[in-house]
Amino acid sequence: MTIYAERTTRRMDPEPERKLGDDAGPSKPDVKRPGGPNELLKRMKRVDPDQAKKYRQRSGQ
Amino acid sequence: MRPILAGLDTEYGFSVEGRGAEDQIDDAKALVRSYPGECLPSWDERSENPRNDLRGFRLGSLSRDPEDAKFDEGRSHGPASEVRSDRVLLNGARFYNDHGHPEYATPETWSLSEIAAHDRAGDLAVLRAAAAYGETCRGDVRVYKNNTDFHGASYGTHESYLVPRSIPIDNLVNGLMPMLVARQVLCGAGKVGSEQGARCDYQISQRADFFSEPINAETLFRRPVFNTRDEPHADPAKWIRLHVICGESNLVSTATKLKVALAKVAIHLVETGNQPMWRLADPVRAFKAVSRDPDGEGRIDLEGRSWTTARQVIESYVVPFLACSSGDTGPYATEMREHLGTAIALLEARFSDPERFARSVDWAAKRAVLSQYVDSERVPWSDPSLQSLDLEYHRIDKGEGLFQVLLELGAVDPDPTEDDVLDRAINVREATRARARSIAVTRFRDQLATASWGTLTFNTRLGEKCVQLPPEKTYPVTLERCATVEDFIMELERT
Repeated sequence: MTIYAERTTRRMDPEPERKLGDDAGPSKPDVKRPGGPNELLKRMKRVDPDQAKKYRQRSGQ
Repeated sequence: MRPILAGLDTEYGFSVEGRGAEDQIDDAKALVRSYPGECLPSWDERSENPRNDLRGFRLGSLSRDPEDAKFDEGRSHGPASEVRSDRVLLNGARFYNDHGHPEYATPETWSLSEIAAHDRAGDLAVLRAAAAYGETCRGDVRVYKNNTDFHGASYGTHESYLVPRSIPIDNLVNGLMPMLVARQVLCGAGKVGSEQGARCDYQISQRADFFSEPINAETLFRRPVFNTRDEPHADPAKWIRLHVICGESNLVSTATKLKVALAKVAIHLVETGNQPMWRLADPVRAFKAVSRDPDGEGRIDLEGRSWTTARQVIESYVVPFLACSSGDTGPYATEMREHLGTAIALLEARFSDPERFARSVDWAAKRAVLSQYVDSERVPWSDPSLQSLDLEYHRIDKGEGLFQVLLELGAVDPDPTEDDVLDRAINVREATRARARSIAVTRFRDQLATASWGTLTFNTRLGEKCVQLPPEKTYPVTLERCATVEDFIMELERT
């Protein structure tokens, strides 16, 4: 698969450096986790962590 | 109350093992052509012109994403109709390749539960085609019902609503815009990160980053919040098709129904002159601001330095609608009230009962699941694995995608039943014109030359015959009993 350079038409602000475990991300919502947390976690850990990096689509409508 | 005819069209994302975006048009074409079910391989394009603008002019050309143009440098994919590879399915839906995405346009519906069932039937059609294509190309084909590739390319989930041409366009714009901006708090699909502007960890909308103008007729680039494409698919003197492009691909069926119900309530109020009079200072900025406030109320700046919230805007439509329609005990109004009641309850639950909220709202359901991973693996939201999990939420293969797991666990509102989805894959259960199209494809396909939203063209013993399908008419189930195509045409012209 050909990986194209990042689209130049959409500029991103520089991403601030973050350390693991620091105050990253939205505050944890006060939500009781959906049922079967172990099953969900196992499923999530099987996902290729780089699949979004490789996923390229054409613009649609 | 005039029931509003509506439809959803979804451009699916997909990946084919070993292939890339440069191959996507060829792959989408082959995927659609691999659809294994019975269908009519034709679509009558004659009445379609995406360059007409509701404001009374015609665009010289439509803008195209310059990045996509690079994929096709020096390549030809063949004649446009060959590339589109149109199919009309047994349920009257249109399935085709739109700009490199398999697109499923549902049959027209009045009912919210019907549109949700047909939306799921679309997932089924695409999955069947993808499975068949995977066997041919001997590669893993994955289908994603989402609206972004996280690298700046977006593809849409659009809504169409039949609206009388007599309503002034300014009234529609002013009456709809606040709702289109606000409803994302209930209908947003959620996204890890951003693709334009300041970085964020998680936002409510997949599409907000891609809107750059409040109003125009574009869809591929320079996308607007309010789209003014004038392609009525019906008598242009009587009707417009309100083409809403700022919605998102919902996986929770409740959210699909709310998305449609909230647009319809705004149209109903505009039609009766009862719409709330909000004047947004900047609809594009407001859309993005609401999207980027998953923990707040979503501030919407108004003209004159005042402001409101997404919740107040939604309530300002729903509350008067509930009051005005209370005397209408017909099935359409009753179903609308039921779902609008759900909308009000969810707005209340958003902060007081977030677990309830996350059962019905995609962005919250996905965020809750991904939060679990963040906590367990001690990774920041900026970690690339989070966008991969976001993508996996939208993978629609049964037993594979994260949303599919949530469904199996009973952690989100249930889908339409499997029996209903299988039924809607081949049938239309309302008396809309889609029923006529469905019967024509199912019973008289050999004589059906081509079809569109508004017409059926048959080859009869007396030559070619084009039959109009006015959307305001009802099409009785007795049409199924016609023995010959001539009887069918006669009955259609008599309805």
